[in-house]
Amino acid sequence: MEASPNPSSSPLASALSHLVDPLLHHFQRIPGSAIILRYVRSSYQDDPIRSLLELFLFVFALRTLLQSRTRGNQSGSNFVKLSEKEIDELVSEFTPDPLCAPLTPAESRELASVPTIIGGVSSRPKISLPTHHAGKPIQVTNLASYNFTNLAGSDSIKEKAILALRKYGVGSCSPPGFYGTIDVHVQLEEDIARFIGTDSCIIYSQAFSTISSVIPAFSKRGDIIVADRGVNFAIQKGIQISRSTVYWYDHNDMDSLEAVLETVKRDEKRRRGPLTRRFIVTEGIFESDGAIVDLPKVQELKRKYKFRLILDESISFGTIGATGRGLTELYGIPAKEVDMIVGSMANTLGGGGGFCAGSEEVAFHQRINGTAFVFSAALPAMLAVASSAAIGTMISEPSMFTTLQENVKALRSVLDHVESLRISSDPRSPLVHIQIRSKSERHPDTPLEKFERGKSSLGVGDVSLAVRPQQRPMVGSMGHDLGVDEQNRLLQSIVDDCLEHGVLLLRTKRLGSINPKLLETGPEARPNIRVAVSTAFTKKEIEKAANIIKASTIRMLGKRR
Amino acid sequence: MPESHSREAPDSFTVSSSNKSQVDSFPTAASSPQQPGRSPSLAAIIKKGLPTVRVSPSEVDPFATKIYSVQADANTMTASVDSAYIHRDLLASELDHPWSVSGSEGSSPGVESQPPSMTTGSTSASIESLESLQDLHNKNVQLRNEKLYAQLSSLAGKGGAPSATAQPPTSHGSSADGAVLLHSEFGYCPNQAFRYTSEHRQGASLPHPIEEEPSYFTVLTTYISYIFLIVIGHMRDYTGKRLFPKSYRHLVERDGYAALNSDFDSFYTRRLKARMDDCFSRPVTGVCGRTVVTLDRVSDDYYQSFRLTGEKTRALNISAYNYLGFAQSHGGCADAVEECLKRYGVSSYGSRLGVGSLDLHAQAEKLVARFVGKEDACIISMGFATNSTTIPAIASPGTLIISDEYNHSSIRFGARLSGAHIRQYKHNDMEKLEALLRECISQGMPRTHRPWKKILLIVEGLYSMEGTLVNLPEVMRLKEKYKFHLYIDEAHSIGAIGPNGRGVCDYFGIDPKRVEILMGTFTKSFGAAGGYIAGDKALIDRIRLTNHANVYAETLAPPVLTQIIASMASIMGAGNVQEEKSLLPSWVQLPAPLMDGSEGRERLRRLAFNARYLSSGLRKLGFIVYGHRDSPIVPLLIFHPAKMPLFSRMMLDRQQSLPPSERIVAEESDLTSEQLKAINDPASVANMDRPARPPIVVVVVAYPATPLISSRVRFCVSAAHTKKDIDDVLRACDEVGSLLKMKYGSGGPGGRWNVEQVIERCLDLVAWNGEDPI
Repeated sequence: MEASPNPSSSPLASALSHLVDPLLHHFQRIPGSAIILRYVRSSYQDDPIRSLLELFLFVFALRTLLQSRTRGNQSGSNFVKLSEKEIDELVSEFTPDPLCAPLTPAESRELASVPTIIGGVSSRPKISLPTHHAGKPIQVTNLASYNFTNLAGSDSIKEKAILALRKYGVGSCSPPGFYGTIDVHVQLEEDIARFIGTDSCIIYSQAFSTISSVIPAFSKRGDIIVADRGVNFAIQKGIQISRSTVYWYDHNDMDSLEAVLETVKRDEKRRRGPLTRRFIVTEGIFESDGAIVDLPKVQELKRKYKFRLILDESISFGTIGATGRGLTELYGIPAKEVDMIVGSMANTLGGGGGFCAGSEEVAFHQRINGTAFVFSAALPAMLAVASSAAIGTMISEPSMFTTLQENVKALRSVLDHVESLRISSDPRSPLVHIQIRSKSERHPDTPLEKFERGKSSLGVGDVSLAVRPQQRPMVGSMGHDLGVDEQNRLLQSIVDDCLEHGVLLLRTKRLGSINPKLLETGPEARPNIRVAVSTAFTKKEIEKAANIIKASTIRMLGKRR
Repeated sequence: MPESHSREAPDSFTVSSSNKSQVDSFPTAASSPQQPGRSPSLAAIIKKGLPTVRVSPSEVDPFATKIYSVQADANTMTASVDSAYIHRDLLASELDHPWSVSGSEGSSPGVESQPPSMTTGSTSASIESLESLQDLHNKNVQLRNEKLYAQLSSLAGKGGAPSATAQPPTSHGSSADGAVLLHSEFGYCPNQAFRYTSEHRQGASLPHPIEEEPSYFTVLTTYISYIFLIVIGHMRDYTGKRLFPKSYRHLVERDGYAALNSDFDSFYTRRLKARMDDCFSRPVTGVCGRTVVTLDRVSDDYYQSFRLTGEKTRALNISAYNYLGFAQSHGGCADAVEECLKRYGVSSYGSRLGVGSLDLHAQAEKLVARFVGKEDACIISMGFATNSTTIPAIASPGTLIISDEYNHSSIRFGARLSGAHIRQYKHNDMEKLEALLRECISQGMPRTHRPWKKILLIVEGLYSMEGTLVNLPEVMRLKEKYKFHLYIDEAHSIGAIGPNGRGVCDYFGIDPKRVEILMGTFTKSFGAAGGYIAGDKALIDRIRLTNHANVYAETLAPPVLTQIIASMASIMGAGNVQEEKSLLPSWVQLPAPLMDGSEGRERLRRLAFNARYLSSGLRKLGFIVYGHRDSPIVPLLIFHPAKMPLFSRMMLDRQQSLPPSERIVAEESDLTSEQLKAINDPASVANMDRPARPPIVVVVVAYPATPLISSRVRFCVSAAHTKKDIDDVLRACDEVGSLLKMKYGSGGPGGRWNVEQVIERCLDLVAWNGEDPI
């Protein structure tokens, strides 16, 4: 276009045209050039400004096209131009930090406190711990593993797994999208969907990665998530990666949920943008403190405010409800009315992997958009078969769930009366979380005047130092008078003491949440000991174990109330 | 084991491969003629130097020859036998000859006299499972007899009995002690010429693979195809929404709910991918080994839904990540897994830090650390999660992550979670990487210009879509200069690359201690699941405490751990070094060839040969093939979107690519579809040497896994494939590729060859350096 001839008579122009002519000649050989030329000529005659504008636009488009999109910093105004020599110097001066800091003594102790199970998990496994008897294996009563319905001891499941091994081998060697969809996977998906009562289901090869893949599959940037402050780590990671707008409501507080939903509604109205997807994310039985969500209320609110519900049933699936079908059964709500139920096949079913049950549409969508589903090899066939077999066992022996509830009751009847403990779990939850009671919270059994006296005394155990009420010690966080480290230390001493008496417990290990200022404030984030009740024990055995825990607690915490 | 069962597993044959073991394991054969009324067993026949000759190939398999008259190469079937005589013999010999899985234990008369070593490899072959594995063939006794024929003739065809019996001890996996292996899972390929070592000249930088560009015509027509598809898709959406609003209900907002997936987001899925949905997620059953049984399905509504027909097809599987062929239901590894299931059960019911830590985990981690050459290792129960939960554990804001543009989704997932600053560079382009490093170090953090706390370079050892290896020598040079930390994701390369199968460090001869973090998965080469992170002790301890999966996720199931231990020990040859042997659990008893590493070496060498052969062969045929030739991932470029489903379907249903005249022959024969399938069954011993047309399952990948125009088919070769399997794949590609006009390439230096030439000169191709004309 620059080559368009300009009729002029000056010698400079003739020299220019001499230069331009061969170019023009080549240009004319391009098919369609005549049309462009004619267009430029006529437009220039009619409106020179317009052709100048067009030329400018053309150059701009060319520049945009040629400019690399991934130049990043270099194009920024903040880029400092340096000579090669300067860069070389900077490079040689660059001293990076080591990849990670070595463990502190406390961290090493933490790692060393993890017991190793020798020769398979059962209700009475042999464990070895470097801090106990120099690692000599000891047999213990297992109240730490997620072996709620004692499928770890089932020989029929083992046999089915062996048959599966002889038919399918071990690994699937392919992602499900290619040739990793084995008939047993389809079977397991059907089994779970039928068991819970949804239309469809999709299985992932790791339970932890399931929910952190389900959330971003549906909730994208600009969508809205309303989540409980106490949700587990996997959900937090899912929320983090989805980059959605998050609103948090107080842990298991339905009024707070309603208030937050109201806020969202108001914000939406003010913004007047297009309709976005909105989700409530919560757990059935909370992994962090054992509370049970009030599902009917959540359902009611979700309908009122037009939200969808993503319910993590990792713990509640296969443990509560008359036949183990989870929270929906407990509250008599059809599972189809919950939009997405996410659960684990590793906790109760004793296989591996996780699932997301919901409508056909929900499952289908994840088959292409569930990152951890698409980009990972399928679950080993043997684990799928074991999970299917476990569901079969649950259906044929529903009495196990009554036994489980009885055992929970037996444990709670003892532990509920230990005044120095705060049990955050719901009375129905098979996962019992034990926290150290804060001095500012009164146990129902504690007489009021004793509580008042205890509140103003500092310290633990026999050491009791009277302080004036106005100097009430609040050194700890999360509304507790003790610091997190101190609580952890005391809880660990209870765990160690119980182990001495043959009961295996677990002090829950936690990683920092995605938003400590918001999520680590409530009592649900306090350190705790996790007791997993199992049907493997008789009521007597459970009571005996509970009394051991009680005795240890009193030994370690003393008369703390 | 009842007799009737033993008769019904004809193809699951064992091959005793050493001379010695032949002698050991044949007392049956020797004694059987003495039994009145019994005809000599197959082994005895072979020993005597059998076959005297007369039969034409058509007698071996009349149908096959009709159809494959073109390819059937007479010289592979020179052997011939007196049909009536042998027929009777085979029926008898089938009952007690040691080649049959089922003959190994049970009621056949010779069993008592068999030495125990016959079956130690797999004492517990479950008959039911074998039956179902092979049930395709069980239905057709007649055809089976013919196959046994062919088995005999093919063996005899190799120059008589000695060649069949005098195979090298490692020619067929752990068969030297009589272990039962299934040809359908791990192919029988005794010829030692078909072996190679995967290795790179030490110190030298890795040259870029020669990647031919397609012609402008191809590129243009590809773009036009996509434009067509997109325009038609939008037209369908436009009219569909108005005419059939019901079927679009889930895409529009209703009752105040936004659509779960908007029509714009799902456009690609609904309008482009849905056209070829039959090529994805094909359901399978059985072991995903050398062959796989697909469950046939049809769609009545343009792939909106599928219906299983109930029929099954056994197809040659050149798409699984089963690089070393450890996806097996029988053999030493599977036996160890069974023992583990009995001892440990299926699950560990907890996370590593949550009382789910077994002694088996500690043992497996020590073994892995030893295998990759690092101080310590940590095992995570899912390959994807290994990256996605470890990167956030070691990187944080203030860290710069430099990542190859083709890094796997799990790495991006993890990098995003970590909160670190992320920069990408062009795939494997070391100059761009150096420029980026210079820029990042000199500029420091954005805005503040503070120096980065640390720089983490994340690369993959072998890129799963490109088949390219990382240029590690060059990366190491840059690492010295720019002091970044290096994280190598060896998901595909561990076990598959290097003379000892220990990944890219082994391949390039680089000390693994110089790399900070080695990550890998067990899903691929080890036939298991899960992944590992290996590094210095301090680093791994830190990761144990901070890795999300280690704290919260379930642990790897004990049987899967055992598969890892057994397969890894056999690659290492753990029995040779006392220190390594002591890392194995005492109850893991592996057969000798696994223990001394001879089988592991054999598998590595077979894989290396197969990889180079297929990659070079396809190039020579004129296809555009990406990647390095040592890579077991061989991507073949398709470009045009319409050819993707066609290629996949034609490879699976080989009738489709036959000329009409030949198709009629098959259609008009009286054979049922099952019989027709049985003729080309890749697991059949009859097809061990003869050019066959087995169904082949392939993986086609397109956008978004690849750039829009370079859609491709991705072959993954395995040590389980025989040289002849690769021949079949090459023939199939040649046939289908010619039909679909997919040969966009020049054939590399030296020009194109035809398929017979490629097969004939396979050894030259494998030895070829790729640069000189050939």
